[in-house]
Amino acid sequence: MEHELIMGETMVEVKKTENDVQLQFESPKTDFDSILEGEHIVIETIDLNFYYSPESHALKNINIKIPEKKVTAFIGPSGCGKSTLLRTFNRMNDLIPGAYLTGKVIIEGQDIYRDNIRLEELRKKVGMVFQKSNPFPMSIWENVAFGPKVNGITDKTLLDEIVESALKQADLWKEVKDRLHQSALDLSGGQQQRLCIARTLANKPDIILMDEPASALDPISTGKIEETIEELKQNYTIVIVTHNMQQAARISDYTAFMMLGELIEFDKTKVIFTNPKVKLTEDYITGRFG
Amino acid sequence: MKDRRISYFRQKGDAYIMGTSIGLVLSLLMVAFIMGVILVKGLGFFWPSNLLFVKLEDGKAYLGEVTDREEKTVIDASGTSRRLKEVQLKIGNRDLYGLDFIWIPLDAVVKQTYPRMAITIERLEYGNFYGFPQRLHAITETWLAEESGFIRRLQQWHDRAVENRKRIAKLEKRLNRLLEPLSHLEREISLLEISPQAQTPEGQARLQALEEEIARMEARISDRYEALNRQLEKLHQENAQLILTVQTADGAEKAIPLEKIVRFYFPNQMNLFQKSALYASKLWEFVSANPRESNTEGGIFPAIFGTVLMVLIMSIAVVPFGVMAAIYLSEYARQGPVVRLIRLSINNLAGVPSIVFGIFGLSFFIYMIGGTIDQLFFSSKLPEPTFGTGGILWASLTLALLTLPVVVVATEEGILAVPQANKEAALALGATRWQMIRKIVLPNAMPGILTGLILAISRGAGEVAPLMITGVVKLAPSLPLDTTFPFLHLDRKFMHLGFHIYDVGFQSPNVEAAKPMVYTTALLLILLVVVLNMIAIRMRNNLRKKYKMAAF
Repeated sequence: MEHELIMGETMVEVKKTENDVQLQFESPKTDFDSILEGEHIVIETIDLNFYYSPESHALKNINIKIPEKKVTAFIGPSGCGKSTLLRTFNRMNDLIPGAYLTGKVIIEGQDIYRDNIRLEELRKKVGMVFQKSNPFPMSIWENVAFGPKVNGITDKTLLDEIVESALKQADLWKEVKDRLHQSALDLSGGQQQRLCIARTLANKPDIILMDEPASALDPISTGKIEETIEELKQNYTIVIVTHNMQQAARISDYTAFMMLGELIEFDKTKVIFTNPKVKLTEDYITGRFG
Repeated sequence: MKDRRISYFRQKGDAYIMGTSIGLVLSLLMVAFIMGVILVKGLGFFWPSNLLFVKLEDGKAYLGEVTDREEKTVIDASGTSRRLKEVQLKIGNRDLYGLDFIWIPLDAVVKQTYPRMAITIERLEYGNFYGFPQRLHAITETWLAEESGFIRRLQQWHDRAVENRKRIAKLEKRLNRLLEPLSHLEREISLLEISPQAQTPEGQARLQALEEEIARMEARISDRYEALNRQLEKLHQENAQLILTVQTADGAEKAIPLEKIVRFYFPNQMNLFQKSALYASKLWEFVSANPRESNTEGGIFPAIFGTVLMVLIMSIAVVPFGVMAAIYLSEYARQGPVVRLIRLSINNLAGVPSIVFGIFGLSFFIYMIGGTIDQLFFSSKLPEPTFGTGGILWASLTLALLTLPVVVVATEEGILAVPQANKEAALALGATRWQMIRKIVLPNAMPGILTGLILAISRGAGEVAPLMITGVVKLAPSLPLDTTFPFLHLDRKFMHLGFHIYDVGFQSPNVEAAKPMVYTTALLLILLVVVLNMIAIRMRNNLRKKYKMAAF
């Protein structure tokens, strides 16, 4: 992550301190309670700060609440920390040597950064779909059954059921049901990404994190992925990082705009895209920089 | 100011490209040359050459195979130089002449022929005999070489003698087995007699009891012992009466017992097809039989067997350790100066002279571990060591240590080539780190691991120096794998092709005669490494097909 920002018109004053880049303005306090009225909150961060190294402060005092069974989109320019924030929700950032964080991430009432948490349980509950489709070099069936298998399910018929239902939910079943035992690498790019979604669904997660899931796909495959997300939001909480503002507008219920590691604005998607409160948000979504 | 530019010629770098191609050609040529020499000299060894009979001006006569021709310039007493052609004959008959080879100046030759009745006799002792058969004496009858059917009779009786020889070997084995418990008791008595225990009354009583047991046992087996001995005696007597009398080129007669003959043939009468058949059978003997005559003749089967078994044990030892070390280094260890230092040390380990590993193997494996094993489990046999001396296990482990860096480095490269995305995906699905390694990293890194194994085999199979002090011997009495319990005898000493080359080529009493054997053994060692590598490469290709994402 670099704190590098390309801005067309100088809308923001960027001041460089010793090690840190800071926006020279205070984002208005987001009133989550009124925006999320009537929603059940599943993810909440409290004063979350994330550092890749002591010099690289990637998330700054993030306070955000994410509602259940809704699609929440994170938008913002490259390097703004939206993927980093997403990855704190299933602790994938733990893999980065030297990185650390302060503050709290509370998922379903539990602080996931407390000491005695079982990462495997957390990641089973909070599934993740990556930017690049990354099926394992195994058969389609084994790819989908991987999660249940590593989490201890060995019964073959049960696994078969899980695989079928996951593939159906990801809208892939019809295309692959006759070749479940062929290599997953023979699928097309869009199919591979839907396979990755199915693989995540097979774990029966509560929350699905999607890190630019369609950015490497053609428009038709992207459309299919979006349809899948539409269907999934009835049963799952979905947090999606996207670069594509139209996509955020189409599929999400809530949108968070981030910049330089700060949460600038959070609101209902409709509001963000029609009547943003912050000038910066407006400039970004109207394409004046980004 | 003059605009200085490099020429287009230098920009294109044609000279450097040519340099690379010359480098490749030179290396290929050298490899081709060494392989060619080994192939020609190695495979030519078994061809049954014609026997040349020469008579010299001074009346001397020789019979033998032409092995080399040479032309050289000599300056005689008057100071004039002239060209002199010489031919090298392998005249065999080591027991009569002392020398196997002789250079004959062609000037001095008055007569050259290829006599039809010239015979090549391969003997168990003293190497080949070249001569002319005179008569065959079998028990009561005698046939002259001129008689028709002589060759057929010779063949029949030779078969009989060989059959007897095999039966004698079998009977002797049975006799040894019969006497084994007896010798055990005797050993116990002699140990007891020299121990202080013998002075005590209990010791005396024990001695008494042992002596009585020996007497009982002797009485029990005496009948069978006698019977076996009688059979042996009969066979020995019969074989002593089967004798072929042959005449050398210069007319001396020599009686050769048929049982001492491995095979005989008349090369000057044979056509190409018969020679090819004989060639094949000699080649087969070479790879399947035991060596004779301090390894300069016969086969090298024990050496092939020992090499293969050693490489297998080495692989079994080195792969798990190397893979475990590589996994820890690349997946669990905190990357930093310490890990970098360890990695550097492992790489440098590959440059340590192999004899150093040999000495380490001797002191650590043999003296420390082997000595401890002996004290704990084989104390009854001490002071005679069981594991406290060189053996195939220790030699294999020493080589495993030697090849460990190769496996670690190759495995680490294989692990690094596993896409980070796949590893993250596995973790994101709730796999533990170990599950990720076992299900994603290891299968994907398998081609890399096998690359390491291939390199280890190539390095390990050809190593000789460390083996010489950890268990290789010139002649092992028995194979490390046989049908007696526990089948795999890891404590046994073994023979090895690489050491065989050194031993035959440089330590044998008859280096000239052994030279072809060196080439053939080298050829076989190379073939063996190729075969072992091909197996591993095949495995790797199959795996690559399965995990086609792997970046190899």
